[in-house]
Amino acid sequence: MKRLIIIAALCLATTGTVSLGLQQGRIDSGTNRGIIGVKIAVPEFQASASDTKAASLAAVFNKVLWDDLDYSGGLTLVSRSLYPLGKFSSPGEIKVEDWTTPTVDAQFIAFGAVRLMGTNLAVEARLWDLKTTQNREAIGQLYRSEDTEDGARYIAHKFADAIIELIGGGIRGISQTSIAYISERTPGVKELYLMDYDGNTSHALTSYKSTVMTPAWSPDGEKVAFTSYRHGVPDIEILSRIDRRPYMFDRPGGTTTTPAWSPDGSKIAFATSRDGSDMEIYVADWNGKNLRRLTVNKAVDISPVWNPRTGREIAFTSDRSGSPQIYVMDAEGTNVRRLIEEGGHAVGAAWSPDGQRIAFAWQRSRTSNFDIYIHDLATGNNTQITHDAGDNERATWAPDGRHIAFESSRTGTRQIFSMILDGTKVRQLTNTGKNTAPAWSGYVK
Amino acid sequence: MTLSRIKQVGYLVPFVLALLVSGCHGKTAAAPTPPPPAPATPPPPAPTITLRAQPASIERGSSTTLQWEARNASIVTISPGVGDVPVEGNRAVNPASSVTYTASATGPGGTVSDTARITVNVPAAAAAAAPSRTPDVKADPLATFNQNVKDVLFDYDKADVRPDQVSVLQSNAMWLKANATIRFTVEGHCDDRGSEEYNLGLGDRRANAIKEYLISQGISANRINTVSYGEERPICREQTEECYTKNRRGHFAMAQ
Repeated sequence: MKRLIIIAALCLATTGTVSLGLQQGRIDSGTNRGIIGVKIAVPEFQASASDTKAASLAAVFNKVLWDDLDYSGGLTLVSRSLYPLGKFSSPGEIKVEDWTTPTVDAQFIAFGAVRLMGTNLAVEARLWDLKTTQNREAIGQLYRSEDTEDGARYIAHKFADAIIELIGGGIRGISQTSIAYISERTPGVKELYLMDYDGNTSHALTSYKSTVMTPAWSPDGEKVAFTSYRHGVPDIEILSRIDRRPYMFDRPGGTTTTPAWSPDGSKIAFATSRDGSDMEIYVADWNGKNLRRLTVNKAVDISPVWNPRTGREIAFTSDRSGSPQIYVMDAEGTNVRRLIEEGGHAVGAAWSPDGQRIAFAWQRSRTSNFDIYIHDLATGNNTQITHDAGDNERATWAPDGRHIAFESSRTGTRQIFSMILDGTKVRQLTNTGKNTAPAWSGYVK
Repeated sequence: MTLSRIKQVGYLVPFVLALLVSGCHGKTAAAPTPPPPAPATPPPPAPTITLRAQPASIERGSSTTLQWEARNASIVTISPGVGDVPVEGNRAVNPASSVTYTASATGPGGTVSDTARITVNVPAAAAAAAPSRTPDVKADPLATFNQNVKDVLFDYDKADVRPDQVSVLQSNAMWLKANATIRFTVEGHCDDRGSEEYNLGLGDRRANAIKEYLISQGISANRINTVSYGEERPICREQTEECYTKNRRGHFAMAQ
C-alpha cells in the first residue's frame, strides 16, 4: 500500500544544543548480558476530538509507539499504572514533579495528541527531559500521514525511532525496517512476502503459484533477490519492493540458489551446480554477468554471505568434512578456514552488521534440535541464544546489530520470531500458514 | 557515561500556531521522508507472447508443431516439458494425450503467458485396449516409463548410491538404454530433517550421483537433466523413519 507521508517539522523551530545531564544506561547489546535502559514514561496520546475514527487511530498509534520503544531494548518504560491521573496532551498538562517522584522516577516523558485534519492524521509529539531545567524539550514534531491505521503506524514508528536515536543508547531504531520472508499458505506453494519489522502490514510480492526460497535484500533496501522454481530448474530472480519490477539475472544453468548481495550492492554471491557434479559458490555482477567461481571442491558449497562491514570475506556452508559446517574464505575464494571445530550440523551463517559476529544454526547431534548460536570472531566463543524449543534456524540480523529474527518450529508449525540477542523480547511475527527464511532489511534510506 | 550534548532538534511551538503558518503544511516543509519516488524513467514495455499449435488436433502417435513469438522478453519458457526456448521459433511435439501448453515470456516489463490446447484423438481400438495390463511404450509412454523406472533411495545425509539400490539403478539404466529416444530429468529429494538450504545442495548431489552412474552405463548425458528439490516435494508427510526413507530419493521424470 502506498503511504503518502508528510512530516511537517514546525516552521518556527529553532535549533540548539540541549544539555540532557542524564546517566546513560548500558548500551551493551551483547548476548546474555542485561540491558538497563533510560527510564521513560509514555502516557497515552489522546484523540483531540470525540471522534471514533480519531480514537481508534490514537489507539493504534499508542500501541505501536509503546511496543517500538519497549522492543528497542535500550529503554525502560515505566508502567502506566504508576502514572499520575489525568490527560497529558500538551505542555501545560505536564507537572514535572509528578513524573520524577521516587515511584515514577522517569528521566524522560513522551507525550502529545492525535487529531484528524481533513484526510490527514496529525500527531503532535514531544519528548521532554525531566531531569533538566533548561531546554527541556528534546523533540517537538508535528507528524502527518494519511488517516489510516497504516498511517498511524508509520507516525508511531517515525517518532519511536527519533526517540531511540536520541536516548536509546546510541543505536539507531529499527522501527521502520522490513522483513522479507517465504510464506506457504497453500500446501506446496511458496510465495515471497514482505512485512514491517513487527509483523504488521504483511503482503505478497510474488504470486507465482510455484516455489520460491532464500530471499536476500540489496543493501539499499530496494530489491530482493531470491530463488525461484517457476521455470522448472531453480534460478535467481530479483524484484523491486517498490513496484515489483523484475531485474534480469542471467541463468547460469543447473540448480542455482542462495543469492547474497555484496555490501556495496554491485555483486551477488550464490551457489550453482552449473558445472555438473555439485554446488559451488560463484560471484557475479548483480545482473548475473562476469561469473567467477570461488570454490572448487567435491562437496556441497552453498549459502554464502558477505562480511557486511568489509566486503572482503564470505562465509558459507560446506559438507567437505562429511557433514555441513560453516567456513569463511576471502572474497576471491582463497584462504578457506573452518569456523567451528566441533561436530554436528552448523549451517546458515548470518554476519552481524558490524562484521564481528556470525549467527548460525547448530544441531550438535543427530537427535538434538537446531538452535541459534552467535560466534564471536575475536574470541572464538559460541553462545547459544535459543534453547531447545523446536528447531530454531535461519537467523537474520536487524541493522542495529541488537535484534535478530529467525524461523522456529516451537509452536508446531514453522513461524518467524524476533528477539533481542540476549533472548529477551521474543515476538512471534507470523501466524498464517508456514513461514520461513526471514531476511531483515537494512535501514530505509 | 554522560551524554552532554545531543543533535540539533526542533522545538515544538503551539500546535495552533503551526497551523496558521503558511508553508507548514506543504510537502516542501522539512519533509525528511518524501513519498517513495516514482521511477525516473518510463516503465519498460510489457512483454507480449503468442503461442499456436499447428494443427491443434492430432491422432495419437502423430506430431504437431508449436509456434511462438515473443516481444520485449528475454526469457521464454514453454511447459510442460519443453523448457527454455528462443524468443521466437517452433518445436514439434507429440503428446500422448490432450494437453494445454503454456508459454511464458519474461522481460523488464513483467511476465505474460499464452496457452495452446492440443487435442489428441485416441483411435477407438487403442481406447478399447487402454486397460491392457502391459502398457506398450508407444501407446502410453508416460505410464510405461513410470512403471519401469523406479525411485532410488538414499541414506540420511548421504548422496552416494547405496549398495542395495544398485540393482534398482541398473534396472532403470537397462530400460532407459532400450528406450533411447526418451529424455528425462533426475530429481534429487531429501527428507525434511536438516536445513532447507543445505538440503538443496544434498538433493543436487543425489541427482548428479545418479546421472553419473547412468552415464557410466552408457546413457548419453544429453538425455539427462537434473534438478534438486531439496525437501520441497515430499511424497510422504509423516515425521517417521518410514516416511523419511521414502522422501530421500532420486526420482525420474520423463520429458514430454
